[in-house]
Amino acid sequence: MAAPSAAGLRRRLQAWLPRLTQVRWSRYNPSFLEPEVNKELYQKPLEELSEEEKEKLELKAVQPIKAAPPSVSCSVFSDPMISKFTNMMMKNGNKVLARSLMAQTLEAIKRKQLEKYHKAPEDEKEAIECNPYVIFHQALKNCQPIIGLSSITRGGKTYQVPVPLKDNRKRFLAMKWLITECRENKNRRTLMPEKLSQELLQAFNNEGPIIKKKHVLHKTAEANRAYAHFRWW
Amino acid sequence: TLRLIYTTTAVQRKNVGASGPEKYTEAFIKKQIEEFNLGKRHLANMMGEDPETFTQEDIDRAIAYLFPSGLFDKQARPIMKHPSEIFPEQRKIQWGEDGRPFHFLFYTGKQSYYSLMHETYEKLLNVQKYQDQLPAQDLPPQKEKKNLAGSRWLTKIELEEMLLEKLSDNDYLRFIQLLQKLMTLPCGDMEEKYIQKFTKEVPAQLQKVVIEPLKYDERGVAFSTSEGIRKTAKATATVYDNGTGKITVNGIDVLHYFPVLQDREQLLFPFQFLDRVGKHDMICTVSGGGRSAQAGAIRLASAKALRSFVTEKEVEFMRQAGLLTIDPRVKERKKPGQEGARRKFTWKKR
Repeated sequence: MAAPSAAGLRRRLQAWLPRLTQVRWSRYNPSFLEPEVNKELYQKPLEELSEEEKEKLELKAVQPIKAAPPSVSCSVFSDPMISKFTNMMMKNGNKVLARSLMAQTLEAIKRKQLEKYHKAPEDEKEAIECNPYVIFHQALKNCQPIIGLSSITRGGKTYQVPVPLKDNRKRFLAMKWLITECRENKNRRTLMPEKLSQELLQAFNNEGPIIKKKHVLHKTAEANRAYAHFRWW
Repeated sequence: TLRLIYTTTAVQRKNVGASGPEKYTEAFIKKQIEEFNLGKRHLANMMGEDPETFTQEDIDRAIAYLFPSGLFDKQARPIMKHPSEIFPEQRKIQWGEDGRPFHFLFYTGKQSYYSLMHETYEKLLNVQKYQDQLPAQDLPPQKEKKNLAGSRWLTKIELEEMLLEKLSDNDYLRFIQLLQKLMTLPCGDMEEKYIQKFTKEVPAQLQKVVIEPLKYDERGVAFSTSEGIRKTAKATATVYDNGTGKITVNGIDVLHYFPVLQDREQLLFPFQFLDRVGKHDMICTVSGGGRSAQAGAIRLASAKALRSFVTEKEVEFMRQAGLLTIDPRVKERKKPGQEGARRKFTWKKR
């Protein structure tokens, strides 16, 4: 039996396709602005503000503002990077567990650093960093790749083309590598906070498997430099 | 340039004005208006009110009284409104008896849009010509951007209603860009009346809300009550002055009711923002929702209650921190043909 003609089939498919509707929409009206939670910004007196900021304030006075999400708070303990990392560690929506693991990790880092601090001689004591938040931020910064690879298909073959990465993408890759490293390459008996604190301290000192992965990525990007002209953006 | 990323369901409304030439003749609509006015006077007479001062609200109340309806859809109940609201405005027939169109841009398809662009561009050229004529010193100084706060451009839907024609997003953006260009020219003040036709006033947000004064109970302690909602949770909070920072929820202490740190952080958020952590006592009741929704509802209720204790400026700061807005995000419904709200069924090739 001959297959139905291509044109007839296409016309029938066109008639059946429903009208396209918007898929990415939000419950807020598009005129709503993001909330600004940092209370220090509000305590600055009017005279210190620059022209731009005064204009922005005036604009904000007329625009409606979205509600602050439940993961954000104005206390010193809420950090956007840490919240992002906790959300990435979360499995099946178990935020309670993810948050407790994060707290245990930070505690473990603090304990290890304090141990080192008390054992070190006087002159080295100042060089040891004890604040777990500072260690976390610095470790993430050290893990971020500068350039990434993207697969582009030309003439049937797929090439890995070196491509500059956006800030969001760098942060995401660093966090993703940390988490996958801790989940896969650990002994069955070690707990997640212990392994994470180990990895973070290693990354803080620019050593460890994640930094190695970053260097490997940089080297392959350097090796594939010849294909850089395939990038069109 | 602007880029419309999100839209609301309002966008999917039909533009009836652009659907085609009028289905109702002018004479018909005039007759409807006469009948409406007559009916209004009869109704006023029936209700025993003065026919001269019978407003639309009175008509609605009278109809709801005379024709009580238990239907759920408000638009299905009996209504009596002015014909201009019921019969939507539609374009008149744009060609004469010989078939020749009246407007010179008829064959473009969007005649009112293109004629509007034509007019605006003409005004722009006039302003530029006037500007070139003046010597350099006579140029009026750079006027402050008064349009940023207090007024906004008409939305695409409003413009469509004004022109009675369908517009595409690109058309609308081009028009707004032209208007902005006209506005930024130094001599643009000449055309201010024309530009004002396409702007709308936006009232400052705070003026809509009335802050209640503080109440005093028997001991002389000031307190204030308010409510908050989040998802399906409803909460009422009473914030007392001269307190030690104790919080009681549904008769249970906050440490026992909210074992999770995140919820307690949310409860403390408004107090921490205003630097009043140990100064107020709070007693609240909450029902419905889950643990995070209840925490969010109490947060909103306490922020609203704290408004009465605090200066107007701080209320504005609270609003800009997002403490006083009701979170409209609710659970999205499951759609037929899909497994969940967004998740589709597993695609099987055969």
